Amino acid sequence: MARDNIYQEEEFPSPLMQLWFHFRQSPVVKIGFGCFLFLCFLAIFSSLISPYSPVENHLDSLLLPPAWDDEGNVSYLLGTDNLGRDMLSRLIHGTTLTFGLSFIVVLISLVIGVVIGSLSALTKGVKSSFLNHFLDVILSIPSLLLAIVIVAILGPGLSNTLWAIVMVLIPQFIHITRNAVEEEFNKDYVLASRLDGANSLRILHYSIFPNIIEKLISQATLAQSAAILDIATLGFLGLGAPIPMPEWGAMLANGIDLFYIAPWTVYLPGLAILFSVVATNLVGEGMRHALKARKES
Amino acid sequence: MCSGLFACNSENKASLSANSIIYCSEGAPETFNPQLVTSGVTIDATSKQLYNQLITFNAKNNSISPSLAKSWHVTRDNKKITFYLRKNVNFHQTDFFIPTRALNADDVLFSFNRILDKEHLFHEVSGGRYPFFQSVGFSDLIQSVERINDYTIRFTLNRADSSFLANLASDFSVILSQEYAEQLVKQNQMENIDFQPIGTGPFKLKEYRAGSFIRYNPHEQYWGDNTTLKQLVFDITPSNTGRLTKLLAGECDIVAYPIAHETISKNPKLTLNDVTAFNIGYLGFNTAKFPFDNKVVRKAVAHAIDRKAILDTVYFGDAKAEAATTILPPSSWAYDKTIPVIDYSIDKAKQLLGKAGLSDGFTIDLWAMPVQRAYNPDAVTMAKLIQADLKKIGITVNIISLNWQEFLRRLALGEHHAVLLGWSADHPDPDNFFTPLLSCASAETGNNRTFWCDKSFDDIIYRSLLTTDIKERKDLYHQALHIAAEELPLLPIAHSKRFQARSIKIKGPLLNAFGGIDFNGVSKN
Amino acid sequence: MLIFTLRRLNLFLFTMLLLSILSFSLSFLFPGEQIINISGQINTNPEGIELVALEYGKHESILSQYWNYLNHLFNGDWGISMTSQLPISNEILSHLPATMELTITALFIAMVVGIPIGFIAAINHRKKTDDLILSLAMIGYSIPIFWLGLLTILIFSIQLGWLPSAGQISLLYEIKQVTGIQFIDILLSDSPYKWQAFQDASSHIILPACVVALAPATIFVRLARTSMLNVLETHYIKAAMAKGLTFQQIIYRHAIRNAMVNVIRDVGLQFANLVTLAMVTEVIFSWPGIGRWLIESIYQRDYTAIQGGLLALSSFIFLVHIFTDFIYATLNPLARETHRGSR
Repeated sequence: MARDNIYQEEEFPSPLMQLWFHFRQSPVVKIGFGCFLFLCFLAIFSSLISPYSPVENHLDSLLLPPAWDDEGNVSYLLGTDNLGRDMLSRLIHGTTLTFGLSFIVVLISLVIGVVIGSLSALTKGVKSSFLNHFLDVILSIPSLLLAIVIVAILGPGLSNTLWAIVMVLIPQFIHITRNAVEEEFNKDYVLASRLDGANSLRILHYSIFPNIIEKLISQATLAQSAAILDIATLGFLGLGAPIPMPEWGAMLANGIDLFYIAPWTVYLPGLAILFSVVATNLVGEGMRHALKARKES
Repeated sequence: MCSGLFACNSENKASLSANSIIYCSEGAPETFNPQLVTSGVTIDATSKQLYNQLITFNAKNNSISPSLAKSWHVTRDNKKITFYLRKNVNFHQTDFFIPTRALNADDVLFSFNRILDKEHLFHEVSGGRYPFFQSVGFSDLIQSVERINDYTIRFTLNRADSSFLANLASDFSVILSQEYAEQLVKQNQMENIDFQPIGTGPFKLKEYRAGSFIRYNPHEQYWGDNTTLKQLVFDITPSNTGRLTKLLAGECDIVAYPIAHETISKNPKLTLNDVTAFNIGYLGFNTAKFPFDNKVVRKAVAHAIDRKAILDTVYFGDAKAEAATTILPPSSWAYDKTIPVIDYSIDKAKQLLGKAGLSDGFTIDLWAMPVQRAYNPDAVTMAKLIQADLKKIGITVNIISLNWQEFLRRLALGEHHAVLLGWSADHPDPDNFFTPLLSCASAETGNNRTFWCDKSFDDIIYRSLLTTDIKERKDLYHQALHIAAEELPLLPIAHSKRFQARSIKIKGPLLNAFGGIDFNGVSKN
Repeated sequence: MLIFTLRRLNLFLFTMLLLSILSFSLSFLFPGEQIINISGQINTNPEGIELVALEYGKHESILSQYWNYLNHLFNGDWGISMTSQLPISNEILSHLPATMELTITALFIAMVVGIPIGFIAAINHRKKTDDLILSLAMIGYSIPIFWLGLLTILIFSIQLGWLPSAGQISLLYEIKQVTGIQFIDILLSDSPYKWQAFQDASSHIILPACVVALAPATIFVRLARTSMLNVLETHYIKAAMAKGLTFQQIIYRHAIRNAMVNVIRDVGLQFANLVTLAMVTEVIFSWPGIGRWLIESIYQRDYTAIQGGLLALSSFIFLVHIFTDFIYATLNPLARETHRGSR
């Protein structure tokens, strides 16, 4: 006989599906998420999309204002800078640098921070106290100062900036992971696993991680918006990407000298940074909201 | 009385700012004694403000006119020059020095013997380098400086030199106080002669905060016309936009090397001044080491650089600068228009590189100056353009830019392959371009950034100084220009104007065609 | 309280030790010769370098080198700057007070503006006001600070002409630098224009302090909001409501004090962030503080200055952190107990 389902099955969506459901509730968050995806798309496909090369000098079209201005030119939609480089192309390529790098930076520091954090949560006593105090010291050094010191040690350049910001973000992930893991350790289900005979690593992997992953993601979005701002700040101060690369902060610094004759070279990169940080923050907000809503329901 | 924070602020500050001028300058001075430097930043801050020379240039027709010397006499063989000093010239009185006597011949003797006499007590103080004087060969030229009486000084030269008076009238030949020097010896603080200066000029130094500002007070017993200002402050602001912002916000009255000329011209509260300056912006090759020790490589690079693009981009077009074919500007009487121009041709460049056996390309360090000067308002952007140009013929360029003092120091040590630099003339005599920039003597002191030393070139410019016959000098200088164009130790890029922006409340001339700025005739209403 | 103080003192000493070790190891990590990095003597001949090396115990073990370094620090010899050749301790003493002035003012503004707004948002939870405040807070938190600084200069200095765009005080006023904190120096000076100078200094600090204070203010808004929301959920507030106190009475007599306490706890943590923002702001507004000096130092590769600046700035931040901890402990006796684990 056919096995017909007479009873309505209750579908229990997995935690991630629940998260997505709550996430989708707010329209603002959906817009933010859309913008975030748009930026990711730009970052990956920048070379295909941008109309010109970001470092090519068009010396016959210097300092053109954006196309909607009287003196603008439609072929250079957002104008050009003092070396004739197309602003639109530079902004698009800058997405790869500022936004894309921030993603990579957060990923790397997430992994390293979580590993160190969970390992340290397993230790107790003097070692743990020492690590705690050490983390306190690092967290009390301003992130820019720490980045400056690391760039001073390694020298300027894009990859070194990456490492500098990774090292600035790692302590935050260690801190969060450590606290979260310790908190979970005190809970009953972990005790149950222990009684079953599981060793610490197994507990970590199977029981704890799935439960703390939301906190980690929440921290990761916060970290990404901070990373975007940090990369842009280092680029602005001239400690980041080398000169012709179109990182948004560096573009802004280049535009300052032209501020009075070509203000779009300052406004546009600033708006780009603002846009990407707001998008990231909206996604982060939405996620935190969804987490809270899921916990409450 | 005072209603509200901001209203009160501007009202009372009005009394303080009525006769005070804040000048936004582009860099910090290296020292307060112009004898020790050639940098325009230091000259602007010190020469005409703190000091006087024996003779000076009349701004109207560039002729030599009296200053501390009220008259002078030159013998027929041009080898003995006697100066008759002015009486009752007072030195500055400050909280670290009170003069007990007026200027006399001892002060002049002190000021020049310090440079000429290697055994002089103060010769080695602050480094012992007097780049301008060394580059014009002062010590070889002067046989002796004698004190005839309290107010008479005689210079005896080893040979005739037609640029001698011009050199003495330049901003570098300032007169120091011998009495102050003696006091410093007793106090064992001899460096202060260059860092806490005493001179006879219209202003005296009140306070200097390193890298931040310089405060001058008027010299009440100045021998000439007293300034109407109560206070003169140099606000050191290296950022171009920063200076303009301060001008627009009213925090500066006068601004050096302004950008955004249209914005200034359109503003009714501001005016833009300019003067045709005797200057040259150039790309200098370090001929002492690879790869630019080879003339063919220098020519190759010269052909690869698009100078017109640089003119348009960095100098914002023809209104602000002229393309340079030689180191002399066309307005100089020694200019030669028959000098061949190096044309922009990538093919020729590649061909020449191939001839030198360097078709695979190489890497060089291009040093770009961090400060703005009239001859080069933006060396870093220029360097970026050259970087892009040279990439097309396979040369990789690293751009290096440090703070100005460090930059000049290491340049003198020859650490560069090529440098973007320039020169503003100190006086109208053409020798002022040749000797300090390209002579062998100058290569030794490090002022000749190309370290190029050509005996025939040196010989020609030396001979030109021996005669006062303009036609003869002109022919000789034409020959020198041809040699320089052939050997190409540097690639001339542009001659430009020097600009200045000021509030309309400021009256009086400030800019000169050559030399440093002069606040003596400037007033504010 | 005593135990708490002792524990905090212990933490402070440990942190200082760690910071000094970090600073010491930097001289090895920076490019160039270690002995030049630590002393700043770039212009000395080889014999001079040997003398300096002996002073720092170069040829002995690492531990005794570190001990020599600590000795130098305590004697006030932090080396000389590679660029200006002036003693680092002098440079720090002349620049740090200006940063202190700016950051404390900004912290004050952030708290005075952010905390009440956060409370208002919490009280109006789930209404339009709450959403509006949160959205504005998020935008404020997302603006890159260097862009914000430039925009405020454009609007307030140039277009409106209300406030000056750079510096600590107009250069026309001759105020002798005694402490480095402009307001105190004005009071100590004998200039006839004291009152005007005071106003001038105030108008100079407003713009940079507000720019620095924006992002921390938004964080305080969130913290205050969360704290107040938590307080409003507690039993004792519910009891007060049941007892019949008016909403106003509840807020002013009970809720604010309790919510405030939790916010104070996090002030110390925010301070490092605030100093980062202050460093960039100092560059934009030419504020003569230690942040701008440090950024200049890294352009010049002045390693001695970076070492000294790192030590001084981190110590200052940590001191503020401990100070706020003390205030928190005074207000909240519960915090004085020992508790392990997370903070």
